[in-house]
Amino acid sequence: MLIDINAYVGNWPFQQLKYNTCEALYERMNKFGVDVSVISNLNGIFYKNTQSANEELYKEIRSNRRFKDRFIPYAVINPIYAGWQDDLETCIKTYGFKGVRLYPRYHDYEILDPACIELVKRVRDYGLPVAFNYRMVDSRERSWMDISNMKGNAIREWNLKNILPIVNAVPDAKYMILNFANAAKLDTEEMNLVKKSDLLFDTSGRTITNMSDFLNLYGSDKFAFGTHSPILDYLTGLLRIESLHSNEADENTKEMLRSGNAKKMLGF
Amino acid sequence: MSNLINRRKFVTGTALSAAGILMSDRVLGMHHAGETSDASVTESVASKYNLMKDVMKYRKLDSHVHAHLFDGGPEGNIAFADRLGIDKMFVSLPAYHGVGTPQEFRSFNDLMLKCMKQYPDRLIGQFTANAIYQKESIEEIKRCVDLGMVGLKVYTQLKINDPLFYPIIEKMIDLKMIIHMHAYTQLGLGGYRMKYDTGIRPNTSIPEDFVNIAKRYPEAMFQYAHIGGGGDWEYACKSFVHYPNIYVDTSGSNNPENMIDSAMKLLGEDRLFFGSDNCYYQSVGKILASNLTENQKKKVFFDNYNEILKKSGRNVD
Repeated sequence: MLIDINAYVGNWPFQQLKYNTCEALYERMNKFGVDVSVISNLNGIFYKNTQSANEELYKEIRSNRRFKDRFIPYAVINPIYAGWQDDLETCIKTYGFKGVRLYPRYHDYEILDPACIELVKRVRDYGLPVAFNYRMVDSRERSWMDISNMKGNAIREWNLKNILPIVNAVPDAKYMILNFANAAKLDTEEMNLVKKSDLLFDTSGRTITNMSDFLNLYGSDKFAFGTHSPILDYLTGLLRIESLHSNEADENTKEMLRSGNAKKMLGF
Repeated sequence: MSNLINRRKFVTGTALSAAGILMSDRVLGMHHAGETSDASVTESVASKYNLMKDVMKYRKLDSHVHAHLFDGGPEGNIAFADRLGIDKMFVSLPAYHGVGTPQEFRSFNDLMLKCMKQYPDRLIGQFTANAIYQKESIEEIKRCVDLGMVGLKVYTQLKINDPLFYPIIEKMIDLKMIIHMHAYTQLGLGGYRMKYDTGIRPNTSIPEDFVNIAKRYPEAMFQYAHIGGGGDWEYACKSFVHYPNIYVDTSGSNNPENMIDSAMKLLGEDRLFFGSDNCYYQSVGKILASNLTENQKKKVFFDNYNEILKKSGRNVD
């Protein structure tokens, strides 16, 4: 079984995307054998009121009975925008969303902003995961209207060290850390935090140049299949798993990477 | 691939599907009062796509890859070549560091020659030089070609259209070999929103430089490096539409979903080369995920670069 923990529908304002509707993604999943995708609405990164994007996603999934069997919707919540607590409750209790994706750099708050910590704790209390991204697009090919990443600018692409403070602040939450980019050498304390936390990386990111090395470093229980679709191609994240030799990952380990680790976090 | 389950297994086998498509309401939690699940989902899930079979189906020539640069010696290259079914790698070591003196570029080429001796059936060297040192570069090109290397790989010591490059380009025309140049485009580079300072080396060749030299030497062949290397690949490909002697390789760490299809649409099916730049997973994944036809995938993975090699009689059987 294959579960993609890092997919989207919606638009990226600076570049035309393909396969960015539930229908197109559904066909993509069928073509390449993906059973279930965790999705959120990219529009939520850009709307000031992210709940509009969550409503769009809810309606799109409801538009076809086939979709609800294949998509696990995540809400996009901005914890420094009015009414987010109500939005979160609506998404989870009324819409049945099963997690939250957060975008501190796009929504312009620090990862340890008290509102962010409160949001993560509320999601934790629902027993659901929160997801953070290293980056959405490679800043080198970004639009001049995208968030800045120039020399000397404080808004740079993140590495793992930028995300770990929230894990440290709310250590009993569930985390997905997506699109692994920008290698960071962790000290012993940081690595211990990663290993003891309920935390998953997906396999879509460019920094994973040798999957076997990453499994050895972080543990095979820390990774799950992800595509970062439709921004990145649909197969590279899967290739990192399927091309592992048997002496690097046996069939049980591969199955954990394909779906087992994701099922555990998603509460299947 | 064992992850791909047939209908029967899906319905009766796994814990997930044993709950049946009840997963939709109970596990996924979407609220659809009064609705039932669509049993046909179980059929559509049962795709038989086998990724590694698809990977191994295509012969591959890696037109852009390095040894002794990012990730150690040629053993690492060969390990990934075996893992992903890459027949031959055209390895190079340009003057990534240092100023690129004759002593340096000769030593870099010697390292590639050593790699070729270590894996004679798998690795073929692309030689490097530095056109600032014209006489030494011409001599080095002759030495390397005589020793079996093919194609020039150069870095940022000079722009590709610098007049100092002219004699080198004319030499490469005589040899009927391609000139493979590191290249880049992004905010702040060249004519592209100059107000940004991104710290790119000032002599980095940009698409406009390639167009300039391609017009001056229409009989020469130029390889614009790594459209997946982080730069603006759409900008580059759009720049090259009308210049058939500019080829692009698809290597680099970036694998945007639409990059290969878009490059094919702009440049046609003869001007794209498969390359990794040591980013092996993305290099293969983005081509397999594209909408290219079987024949187009074969051309990108193997035939297009082999056609270039054929011009100098160095093609792969």
